Amino acid sequence: MKPFSPDRRKFLKLSAGVTGASLVLGINWSCSNDANIDHTSGTDVFIPNAWLRIDTKGSVTVLVAESEMGQGPFTLLPMMVAEELEVDWHQVRVERAPLTPVYGYQMTGGSSSIRKGWETLRQAGAITKEILRQAAALSWHVPVSECRAEQGQIRHIPSDKTLTYAQLVPQAVGVQIPETALLKEPEEFHIIGTPAPRLDTPEKINGKARFGIDIKLPGMVYATITHCPVFGGKPKNIDAEKTRQIKGVLDVFSIDEGVVVLAKDTWTAFKGKAALQIDWDFGDKQSLSSDSIIKTLEALHIDETTEIVKQGTPDNLLDEKSIKSRYTLPFQAHVTLEPMNCTASYQDGKLRIWAPTQSPSEAYDAARAATQSKITRATNKIKSKLFDSVDDSIEINTTLLGGGFGRRLEQDFVSEAAQIAQRIEKPVQLTWTREEDIQHDFYQPLTLHEMRGTLDARGLPVAWHHTIKGTNAKPEGANILPYDIPHIRVDLIDIGKILPVGYWRSVQHAYNAFAVEHFFDELAHAGNHDPLELRLQLMSKAARLKKTLEVAADKAGWRHNSDLFGVASHAGFGSYVSEIVQLKEQGNRLKIAKITCVLDCGIVINPDIAKAQMEGSIVFGLTAALKSSIKIKDGQVQQSNYHNYPILSMAETPPIEVFIIDSNENPEGIGEPGVPPLAPAIANALFAATGKPVTDLPVPFDSQGIKVT
Amino acid sequence: MRIKINQTEYDIHVDSDTPLLWVLRDHLNLTGTKYGCGIGTCGSCTVLVDGNPVRSCITPVSNFDGKEIITIEGLSPDNSHPVQQAWETLQVPQCGYCQSGQILSAIALLNKKIDPSDSDIDQAMSGVICRCGTYPRIRKAIKQAAASLRLIGETP
Repeated sequence: MKPFSPDRRKFLKLSAGVTGASLVLGINWSCSNDANIDHTSGTDVFIPNAWLRIDTKGSVTVLVAESEMGQGPFTLLPMMVAEELEVDWHQVRVERAPLTPVYGYQMTGGSSSIRKGWETLRQAGAITKEILRQAAALSWHVPVSECRAEQGQIRHIPSDKTLTYAQLVPQAVGVQIPETALLKEPEEFHIIGTPAPRLDTPEKINGKARFGIDIKLPGMVYATITHCPVFGGKPKNIDAEKTRQIKGVLDVFSIDEGVVVLAKDTWTAFKGKAALQIDWDFGDKQSLSSDSIIKTLEALHIDETTEIVKQGTPDNLLDEKSIKSRYTLPFQAHVTLEPMNCTASYQDGKLRIWAPTQSPSEAYDAARAATQSKITRATNKIKSKLFDSVDDSIEINTTLLGGGFGRRLEQDFVSEAAQIAQRIEKPVQLTWTREEDIQHDFYQPLTLHEMRGTLDARGLPVAWHHTIKGTNAKPEGANILPYDIPHIRVDLIDIGKILPVGYWRSVQHAYNAFAVEHFFDELAHAGNHDPLELRLQLMSKAARLKKTLEVAADKAGWRHNSDLFGVASHAGFGSYVSEIVQLKEQGNRLKIAKITCVLDCGIVINPDIAKAQMEGSIVFGLTAALKSSIKIKDGQVQQSNYHNYPILSMAETPPIEVFIIDSNENPEGIGEPGVPPLAPAIANALFAATGKPVTDLPVPFDSQGIKVT
Repeated sequence: MRIKINQTEYDIHVDSDTPLLWVLRDHLNLTGTKYGCGIGTCGSCTVLVDGNPVRSCITPVSNFDGKEIITIEGLSPDNSHPVQQAWETLQVPQCGYCQSGQILSAIALLNKKIDPSDSDIDQAMSGVICRCGTYPRIRKAIKQAAASLRLIGETP
């Protein structure tokens, strides 16, 4: 083993500078001071590029620059590398990539991990395979063309000699790196497309998985925070006397976002928080309520400036005789099971962060802004989009995430922990109580949807008008319809972020798909058409979505004009999904008998993970359709914990069947596209059963089922 | 105070009203048991006491005097517990945060019923919530674990 110990981080930076996203050869003989390196003694490590390490014991480690929050990148991206590298799946390990520019801007959201990784990670594997073939050819003095890569070794075809990748590590170092390599055709895949077991499962069934909340640092103290219950309020007077009397409370102080209690353990910090008496200046949002927001939105009207889509001459065809409907969808919270938390240490001018974050890059910006003087903070927030380098005084370590769903795209918890660490100059773990987590989320916006439609003599929709109104409302999912409707108008009336709103699994697709797909059924019903038949009839330009619908109808056993079925289809995040809900009557309730889901996500990297994402999306959608909502009153969130923001339970989960369309199209998103069709499919089934459209979510529901009025 | 966790006795020095959860997590570094709600509604903090599921976030550590506590870390050294094996075969976890509570609740169920019906599973598991929506797989995994336990003629 050579004694020198190059700084791997520096190496990666240089690599980025020289070649951008392509590949540079490097070698790391021993990095005893680098926590990211396998410390197995005597193991030399070959690092052909930033995404891959091969050691002399035969392990292949793939570095993944995406956050693992259950959606599978820690398995899916290594599968892409392993496919091209020709290694057995059991040889593959995964590690979270550090925050360095070689990986680009790090943000996991928008169902983008597979799409971002598809070319790069396969190239990383394929180029490395070429290096290993050449290394074998050199050591055998034979032509490269006679050397084939298979199952973690290179075989010399004429002589049948083999060398494992582990054995080739020393020779591989000297090989000139090809700039690109040929990628395999889909029919050659033997890892991609298989249900390879997740690399993160073993540690998630024995308590060893380290989430943000599980980080322990020597000498660490524990903190919790109280935010003003009214959005934007500030403490006027803090009476912390009772808190300070609690044994184990170390300090109480304010930071920008609220009042911090510091203690010897989390429980003592929570007790201290409960004992605080804070007189708040509630600020200017204390009259805000869900009801007042709805009234405000109702009073706003469309004009030429609100029009965002116009096709044909819809205004001539929409009149008093048009079919009208209105839907109101509430704010929703994320309630990741792991509450917001962040661990930080600030020592000798160096800030180190351990965060369960969806965006290490944004976490870096938040930490930097928080630890600079307050005067420069505002400027830094504006600059945050300019992330292009990392300075060594701030280190971001991304842990596993106990759920994300978009909540952890916001970095408020990182900013808070950074401020606390800088103030106390000791390692500190900040943990929010569940109550803070629910009441200080960045919510799915409240939206109002005003719908109008006109039918022709055959009962087919000829004109469509959708007005989307909301707090930071967006048009995606409503601005391109999959249906052949000649005259279309879409308006958007947005009153902006009047309270904290953010990204919630499938974002605007969730509310827009509800409005589009539920109103489509209202029109089908008015025109005496079976809603599924009408969809198929009008999907001439949406072939892939239509196919999912046909398969779903077949698998679910769709019965024409049945009063127990509801369907919805939606295209989003590159993928196409149809879902069919089948109800059954039980006493004076309707119960969900079965949900059938059909997904076309292009090439399926791992069908088992894709199915898991559909199952999870359906359960996530069911919670919002049947059980939960966030209500604002007096500027405060009225819900506080799982008893009044309930999550769907095991007993309430219906049987779910998922089918995946075979495809050789490029792979697309799987984390989010299963959510949007769920709520409208439920609403359409209820509409079929009761004859009444669903105008508000969630629908009335209890342990016995959906209440029919 | 002395408490016995996973066959090991620990001397602990905390206020007697401290919930077991925080003793495990912040004092004994047994972080597999999770904080989710603090009011006993989510089940992430479930541990086994004499084979029964207990919400460690609302149960003071003083209640555990002389009791045998099992946490997720105490199931097996190598994921070989039949319930862990079923979880692995069926690839149950997504984010994984709630799974300690799910696995221990499943074991508590199987301690009582070696051939649980769907409604037994509903009843035993509905207090343990999973935001990722792994319920369909948890149900299958419990049935698979039950089948393998019946085959070897053991309780979990």
